[in-house]
Amino acid sequence: MAGCCEGNKTHSASGCCGAGGSRTVLIYACSGGANVGEVTDQAARELMYAGAGTMFCLAGLGGDIEGMLATARSADVNLVLDGCPLECAKKVFDRHGLPHQYLRVTDLGIAKTKGVRATPEQIKTVTDKACAMLQCKA
Amino acid sequence: MTKIQVLGTGCAKCKKLADNAEQAARQAGIEYTLEKVTDITEIMKFGVAMTPALAIDGQVKVAGKVPDPAAIQALLK
Repeated sequence: MAGCCEGNKTHSASGCCGAGGSRTVLIYACSGGANVGEVTDQAARELMYAGAGTMFCLAGLGGDIEGMLATARSADVNLVLDGCPLECAKKVFDRHGLPHQYLRVTDLGIAKTKGVRATPEQIKTVTDKACAMLQCKA
Repeated sequence: MTKIQVLGTGCAKCKKLADNAEQAARQAGIEYTLEKVTDITEIMKFGVAMTPALAIDGQVKVAGKVPDPAAIQALLK
């Protein structure tokens, strides 16, 4: 996705045409297989749809895609959502030396469980916390 | 010869980035070429997910924002 002007219409992230205006907030989810990974994924999307930032592709950074690394380096805020203490997403950022804010789902009292779906309450817990970190209005 | 490429489909911010890059290159006193890459397929080959973006000698340096000429000049060194 390299959509010019898309970002600024519905999100607070700059995208094309938004550069130089509001700050660029990129949100990354570990999107792991357990419920807490699903929570990160759903929370990141909720935050994006609420206008708190733009969900961005963690796999692209893990895959060393140069343009995506440049995008992350250029962002005003990179918010990284990890599900559990394995810190997979954080390790990607640390490997590339990328600055970021960090939130771990299990730190919010949500237990990691395989084969269980994320609940709306859990997702809201994470979006509320993320919003507080981003000082957003979502 | 430094190859400067501005990646973007042609919005006002893309043009601003091209202007800033040209100004920076002139101030740096370097030999350069400036190319505007507007084709979305070509842009995506750079792995860029947010435009406008600036590539120098084929490497993406900035994406999703418009750095001022001074900042671009630092990237050109």
